[in-house]
Amino acid sequence: MPILSFNDVTIHLGGREILSPTRFEVEKGEFISIIGPSGCGKTTLLRAAAGFVTPSGGSVSRQGKVITGPSREVAFVFQDYGRALLPWRTVEGNISLALEAAGVPAGQRAARISKVLETVGLAAHAGKFPTQLSGGMQQRVQIARCLAQEPELLMMDEPFGALDAMTRESLQDELLRLVREQGLTVLFVTHDLEEAIYLGDRVIALRSNPTPQQPSLAAVIDVTIPHPRDQLSTKEHPDFLRLRRDLYHYLGHD
Amino acid sequence: MLATLLRWLRPFVFPAILIGAFELYTRRVAAYSDTLAPPSAAVRAFVDALFQGDILSATGFTLMSAGIGLALAFVAGAGLGIVLGLSPRAARMSFFSIEVFRPIPSVALIPLAMLVFGFGVSMEVSVVAFATFWPILILTQAAARQVEPILLEVSQALQLSYFQQVWKITLPSMLPRLFVALRQGVAIALVVAVTVEIVANPHGMGYAIMIAQQSMEPALMLAWLFWIGIVGYVVNELALLLQRCMAQRMGGRP
Repeated sequence: MPILSFNDVTIHLGGREILSPTRFEVEKGEFISIIGPSGCGKTTLLRAAAGFVTPSGGSVSRQGKVITGPSREVAFVFQDYGRALLPWRTVEGNISLALEAAGVPAGQRAARISKVLETVGLAAHAGKFPTQLSGGMQQRVQIARCLAQEPELLMMDEPFGALDAMTRESLQDELLRLVREQGLTVLFVTHDLEEAIYLGDRVIALRSNPTPQQPSLAAVIDVTIPHPRDQLSTKEHPDFLRLRRDLYHYLGHD
Repeated sequence: MLATLLRWLRPFVFPAILIGAFELYTRRVAAYSDTLAPPSAAVRAFVDALFQGDILSATGFTLMSAGIGLALAFVAGAGLGIVLGLSPRAARMSFFSIEVFRPIPSVALIPLAMLVFGFGVSMEVSVVAFATFWPILILTQAAARQVEPILLEVSQALQLSYFQQVWKITLPSMLPRLFVALRQGVAIALVVAVTVEIVANPHGMGYAIMIAQQSMEPALMLAWLFWIGIVGYVVNELALLLQRCMAQRMGGRP
């Protein structure tokens, strides 16, 4: 059974059709990249998968059950890390929030926090406040909080979009390592074509202003480039270059 | 060294010139005036009053009344503001009552307060409390509604219970704005307390300045005016300092 399935999901917002009937399935352990021009509904699709948005038609189901609202099994990484963290809590405190929500007894929290901080390489910064950290580190804190939730599914909404190129690349590699280690299933929204191909096992391309002839779901493409991926050799791989060329026009380029 | 000293002295140049000019005017042109006195005489009158203990006792009375009134208003105003901010239904129900009572000028309540409480601390406290209650209520209510929307989605994603959300997210993120409300309350409380003493209550700094004026002691009157200005400045600066500390502690960017 697929871990997540979109069954002819349509979404209307403010009287406009954002997403025309869309159907696809996600298997456990898959890394799905979602690309498309701005305003094509990729974030809305992600929010529907997380239970923040209820589809106007069709349904999203997780392990066969229709999603009716957010669940602790689904973690959501927001693009705006600066506003998704509690500025009055330290790094430790921010991660603790996920454990408090899950009802983890106070005595067990410290050990789990330090374990998760170790995984994202923030062990040395446990006592700092978010404003004392760089953007890349703040985003790591948010990812750590999501990992502490121990979710099945990780939803990421352009998580590295606001970071500089160097930080973005190192976080991409770290994310791939984490996903493999923890066996996570990921839906990753981005407007960066290379990022989508580099990270994904499959790339879902959406188009804006769907019509019955041209539905939202423009293409679903398998990325067969082998793991582990590497910033240099993967991006020089013939398949990478071919996919990049094939997908280029889905981002609104003509 | 000299340059730093000069820079430090710069803001005092203009007030010094003004005081000097006033001194000159009252000594030469208005030397036999019953209504004006030179600043030097005001300083002498101030020192006399200080040694007689008038300054301390009157200042103590005014600050105490303003403080008690503000404390009552803060507890009631912030408490009710939180409830109205969290519950749109309660806010709709109370909107009309608030808009009817709020525009009443607080000093118009002095006759009523005199009838109910007579002269003394209680009547002054009640008028101060009425005057400061409304801005605190309105600002608190707004603060409860202006919680960062992404934090509320984080709370949803983590499945915090309603009380967890209020306690761990809404209240802490309101705290800096609560201190803004408190600071505004401080400024209003002092003005209203002195006004009540000038108009009706035979205690405190406002009464002292009235008595000095009515007994034709312009030097003493100016001394009180100057002192009330200093007290107002110090109290407001302290409140501002408290507000800034709180904003920084709760995540304002340094």
